[in-house]
Amino acid sequence: MAGLTLKRPTRPRALISLVPMIDVMLILLVFFMVTSTYLNLDMIPAARRAEAPGAPPSGPGESGTVMIRLGADGVPVLRGRAMGGAALTAALAGVLAETPLAQVIVLPSGAATTQALVSVMDAAAQAGAVRLRVVRLEARP
Amino acid sequence: MKLNRPSPAPHSETIVALIDVVFFLLVFFMLIGRMDATAPFEVHPPVADSGSDMPAGGATLSVGAAGDLALDGQPLAGPEALAQALTRRLGPEPDLRLRVNAHRDAELRHVLPLVGAAEALGVRDVVLVVTPGPVP
Repeated sequence: MAGLTLKRPTRPRALISLVPMIDVMLILLVFFMVTSTYLNLDMIPAARRAEAPGAPPSGPGESGTVMIRLGADGVPVLRGRAMGGAALTAALAGVLAETPLAQVIVLPSGAATTQALVSVMDAAAQAGAVRLRVVRLEARP
Repeated sequence: MKLNRPSPAPHSETIVALIDVVFFLLVFFMLIGRMDATAPFEVHPPVADSGSDMPAGGATLSVGAAGDLALDGQPLAGPEALAQALTRRLGPEPDLRLRVNAHRDAELRHVLPLVGAAEALGVRDVVLVVTPGPVP
């Protein structure tokens, strides 16, 4: 039995090893998993370009003005009556049904929270107000 | 004479399936994740129903519940530092969009003057960041 050698068939080698690629992909995966945040964010315009100087002013006859005062406790007051979100939307919708182009002016107290202002802007948007202004507080914080 | 064949090495197709799964996860997290610089303090934006989708880009001004300020994750000492930083950003980018990410409990006296100051500096596109959901 001298000279019997068994040759194993040579296995075809892959051209490029996949292991480094898997390593890189796993590192990328962990990176994106760690750096991801799952906040779903929207936006509300606070300064519209259309309100810039040069926008055509609307005639005084076709529009009125509705002022919503936002108290320090965050309760909006429309025409002397304090009302919450749904009531404010209904009241504003009633006003806007008569004068669709009425300008809604929000006069917020400096002590009210951002959520209170956003809620009022939300109610105005749901009532169909197209012209909404927030009176800015100029005092330094 | 009987020769035991060596047990075949595990085939590489199992690795291909793993790569597929990892690749799907990778793409998922790349699409879902936001890489925005986060503020060094806690900011929970207010809840609103009528917000619209927020495009990327621009500068993010974070306002904490106590009035702390940060622009793109860098803490600012006060409104003066914000004015300086905004002026620097507005030089090469006059159409800068400023996203005001204010905490829902931040008092408006800390927030609204900043919007006015930014407009006075020439920022024409200021948006408030909100979270979609039913208004409490």
